[in-house]
Amino acid sequence: MAREQQIKLTVNGRSYEKTVPARLSLADFLRDHLHLTGTHLGCEHGVCGACTISMNGRSARSCLALAVQADGAEIVTIEGLRAEDGTRHPMQQLFLENFALQCGYCTPGFLITAIELLRDNPKPTEHEVREAISGNLCRCSGYQAIVDAILAASRLELA
Amino acid sequence: MKPAWFDYYAPHALDEALHLLGDAGHDGRVLAGGQSLMPMLNLRILSPAVIVDINRIEALNRLHAGADGLTVGALVRHADLLRSPDVREGWPLLWEATTQVAHMAIRNRGTVCGSVSHNDPSAEHPSVLVTMGGTVIVAGTAGHRELPAEAFFTGALSNALEPGEMVVELRYPRQPTGTGTAFVEFARRLGDFAIAGAAAMLTIRDGICERARLTVVGMGDGPLRLRAVEEMLTAHALGQKEAQDAFAEAAAMVVAAVDPTDDVHASAAYRRHLAGVMAAQALETALARAGGS
Amino acid sequence: MSDARFVNQRMVGSSVIPDEAIPLVEGDGRFLNDIKLPGMYHVAFLRSQHAHARLIAVDASEARKLPGVIKVLTGQELLGKVDPFRSMPNRFSGGESIQHWLAVDKVRFCGEAICAVVAEDRATAEDAVDLIKVDYDPLPAVTDPRLGELDGAPLVHEACANNYLIKREYERGNVDEIFRDAHTVVKRKFKIGRKQALCLEGRGCVAGYRENTFTLTVWMSHQLPYVVRHYLAKHLRMAETDVRVIIPHTGGGFGQKASIYPEEFVCAHLALTLRRPVKWVEDRIENMVASTHARDQTIELELAADKDGHILAISSDIWVDVGAYSTYLWSAGMEPLQTAGLMPGPYRIGAMRYRTRGVATNKTPVGPYRAVGRPSASASLELLIDEMARKLKLDPVEVRLRNLISEEAMPYRSANNLVHDNVNYIPCLKLSVLKSDYDRQRAEQREALASGKLRGIGVACFAELTGLGTSTAVGPGTLLQPGRDAATLRLETSGVLTIAAALPSQGQRIMTAMRQVASDELGIKLEDITSITNDTATAPYGFGTFASRTAVFGSGAVIMAARELRKRLLAMAAFLLKVPVEDLTIVNSVIQTVDRSRSISLRDMAEKSYFSAKDIPQELNQGFEVTSFYDPKFGSFAAGAHVVVVDVDPKTGHVEIVRYVATEDVGTVINPAVVEGQIVGGIAQGIGEALLEELVYDDAGQPRTVTLADYLIPSALEIPRIELHHANTPSAALGGFKGCGEGSIIGALGAVACAISDALSRKGGDIHSFPATPERVLKGLGVLPGDA
Repeated sequence: MAREQQIKLTVNGRSYEKTVPARLSLADFLRDHLHLTGTHLGCEHGVCGACTISMNGRSARSCLALAVQADGAEIVTIEGLRAEDGTRHPMQQLFLENFALQCGYCTPGFLITAIELLRDNPKPTEHEVREAISGNLCRCSGYQAIVDAILAASRLELA
Repeated sequence: MKPAWFDYYAPHALDEALHLLGDAGHDGRVLAGGQSLMPMLNLRILSPAVIVDINRIEALNRLHAGADGLTVGALVRHADLLRSPDVREGWPLLWEATTQVAHMAIRNRGTVCGSVSHNDPSAEHPSVLVTMGGTVIVAGTAGHRELPAEAFFTGALSNALEPGEMVVELRYPRQPTGTGTAFVEFARRLGDFAIAGAAAMLTIRDGICERARLTVVGMGDGPLRLRAVEEMLTAHALGQKEAQDAFAEAAAMVVAAVDPTDDVHASAAYRRHLAGVMAAQALETALARAGGS
Repeated sequence: MSDARFVNQRMVGSSVIPDEAIPLVEGDGRFLNDIKLPGMYHVAFLRSQHAHARLIAVDASEARKLPGVIKVLTGQELLGKVDPFRSMPNRFSGGESIQHWLAVDKVRFCGEAICAVVAEDRATAEDAVDLIKVDYDPLPAVTDPRLGELDGAPLVHEACANNYLIKREYERGNVDEIFRDAHTVVKRKFKIGRKQALCLEGRGCVAGYRENTFTLTVWMSHQLPYVVRHYLAKHLRMAETDVRVIIPHTGGGFGQKASIYPEEFVCAHLALTLRRPVKWVEDRIENMVASTHARDQTIELELAADKDGHILAISSDIWVDVGAYSTYLWSAGMEPLQTAGLMPGPYRIGAMRYRTRGVATNKTPVGPYRAVGRPSASASLELLIDEMARKLKLDPVEVRLRNLISEEAMPYRSANNLVHDNVNYIPCLKLSVLKSDYDRQRAEQREALASGKLRGIGVACFAELTGLGTSTAVGPGTLLQPGRDAATLRLETSGVLTIAAALPSQGQRIMTAMRQVASDELGIKLEDITSITNDTATAPYGFGTFASRTAVFGSGAVIMAARELRKRLLAMAAFLLKVPVEDLTIVNSVIQTVDRSRSISLRDMAEKSYFSAKDIPQELNQGFEVTSFYDPKFGSFAAGAHVVVVDVDPKTGHVEIVRYVATEDVGTVINPAVVEGQIVGGIAQGIGEALLEELVYDDAGQPRTVTLADYLIPSALEIPRIELHHANTPSAALGGFKGCGEGSIIGALGAVACAISDALSRKGGDIHSFPATPERVLKGLGVLPGDA
């Protein structure tokens, strides 16, 4: 019983009820049990930021939370950023237009982090953008295009 | 890499949590923010038999700034401190140190009490608590006890908790008027664990240092308070020239006093050098903020 | 408005937004770990805890009893069933090394796989790994190549005397005489640390049994699908036609995913024997020890110059710590031979000599990683050129201008026998000097120094041989030559075009590039062209993605196929429209006469050709599908010059990059924004190499950097804004393209290194060991004792 637990949570606006092993990470739960594979695992020890999701309105490393801890939580993953009609979130669109992704493995974490940043600080300086994303590692881009995409979004008045 | 099996409990009341922890003894671990514990579980560095998740215990989610001090409950996240104007205003050392804890997503979940309990020698919060003369409130099935910060930290990654006990609250006193503080640290990348850092707190009256507190970070055994430096600075005049000489002497005393170890990021020699640099920087900034030169 | 002529907007040269990135930005990418097959098992590996030990016994009895465990496979059980990896023949080999997929008698590095556990899920497989007991008899470990090559040192492989996996000596010109007579000689020892590619996604595979018509289907996070297929079949003793390899979305490659490793081959064997699909995903801790490392050179370099700073000769002695095995396919020669052989870079150097060795040690094997050898070689030479310039009181820019191979001197055969042609070394440097306002930077540096700040300026130039054809071996001395790659162009029944090629992209947007090239060649609208890659069942043969070759080969093959397809399209249109073929052109997916009086859309023509061809002569209707192979025969040199300004904190040793200006010659540019991403990304990895990244081992061969908290790659704060400029000149390859994936990392290490050295030299210090950790910087300044 203590090794398994039933949880009820909302992910990308949809409710789920599942029984999960206590040792299952939230990341593996999203990926393997809900088939939301847009969230990626790059290190499983909280450094790379690829698995960053939004939990109750705040960014969190899904590799550093247990699925059972998400009981009652509201979670948003990269798959939940699109509008109901399928339109890309402006941040997704600007990542695309600014060539802010190459292999795309780190992208889910950057999108969640960037959206949270602009909610907290709608008009960040370039340095503030760099500081806010410094917990997300990208190995391809050299960050320049990512920074440009986020700065472009800050000019859009996303709200 | 996936954690080994454990029994998981998420009680809603502190009593229940304490009983679970008491029963588990050495095999139990408290899970709060999980930002230190979860990596160790994933890496199987730790394989506790029992995990007691305290996130459902509402009573522990208490951040209160009162006339006599600041109370930080076991579920208060780093980000909660950063969003509190009271903390920024009244406990600037704590606030400044917290801005340097890891990154946004980690600060959103990690707890202050968790960082204090974990007592990583490179972490910010243990040193801040020591510098400010804070108190740790510990609870177990036998009841509560209060420990002065310095008595709580007993060496790298260790603390004064008995099996079955947990930290439920931290208390930070208000700082005297005329006080300036600074927390500085140096890491190879921002947000990484510091190679060295320092927390300084200077109370200045009429150009004289009335009270000094200095703690260095990253020196192997956890927060290291430099009493000799504090004594040297106390009653010292800290005009521009005097301060320069006093802080140079302070840095030299720090370098002589610390006994760090080698790791992959820095040799002991470099750490020792850096401890002096950080101490001097923290003292200079604290003095400037206290309204001194 | 005149509309006498209709010309497509040229796609080559346009920053077309790549459709292929849309799934990735929407969370619909399909990476290896996203693949699930019904009944799929999961694999975890037990890995050696010792650097060097005899395996006395492996006891998996407890692991086998654990519920959920399907199988525990040991090296002993594989003996005789599959063929282990034998080091590729190489002219400069020091002896054959054999790597069993799972260790048999001995383990030779920490992290070497000993057992594979198959279980219902990954966590259970890891539980079982913890239950396996291994009895090791530890042996003395070789951890320093300078000690490992001594007589009497412990041997990593019995067949490799003095632990040489590779050894080569080379001389061109009378080097001794030149050094004896030279006006100025400078000499220095450089050390470049061990590092790794650090793809955000580790390796991994899913091996399926009897999926579709293939006995074995392997999805793999890899750069070379056809090469993997060839070697899977060979080592598993199967017919190649029974094997299919598919490359899903790949989270970074950088060369680390261009080698052949044991784990994926073990999984293929398991799928065949269990008759069930199995998955293995490399976790980060495994990745740090089980995927190839790179660099780790000690370079003793000597340079002879005349009184005006002209380089007359260079001579080098090089030791590379290549780890425990000869990396499969490429051999252990990658770093040792390329570091030494490519040392002259973009400079006119008439005489050179080198002695280079790859010494086996009890560490993770060294394999290909972005710009193999060149960053270390280039940084060493650039630092030594600065030292020579300081001695002769010459400016670093001036001394480089005097030595770079000029356009007038081309074609120029260098002392390493490579021919430089169609490349803008001097224009790159001049543009970077202009754009960085170099003289003003020097003036500001003097002001900074006067006010107590420590500032340095670094200038580095590089040459990068890209797009190698059949005339050049990938690894010197190996039999392996990159050969040719094919593209298939097929006009579908509805008139849209499909391009197929086995050229995987890890973010280089190869599919988009090939669509752009095809669009220009055929006059077909970009949105009417799609591209499929990465599947040996659907794409024609290709060697794959590595060595800055993919855009050159893919585009070349597309151009050749497009020209043939265009002929067929116009011939049929001429027949249908009853006009001379010379009058026809293709614009916006419509074939029309130049005066637009007659036209037929590709859609209509395709439908006619496929579905209503009764009246079309057979010789005109050969099918709208063409496969062409392209081989540029020779490589093309790309180039660049970087100017970097750094501030050094003399108290902490921290280095901050305050200005970064880069000019590159990457030939004809297909998609400028994509190219810029490649260059900036390469610079970021070079900055990591210069300042942060180092894999550390202790003296017993235990790795000390096994997490991302120990091995530091740059974050957005360590990378400055890169100011990028172009001085492009077309190559001789079809389309004028050059590779652009690797060059910039070469310039970054050199330029940052030179900038730090420049700063330290203002205080009488210097630095010769990289990465320039804060501690090494303080040693270089004499603040801390010890060598830097």
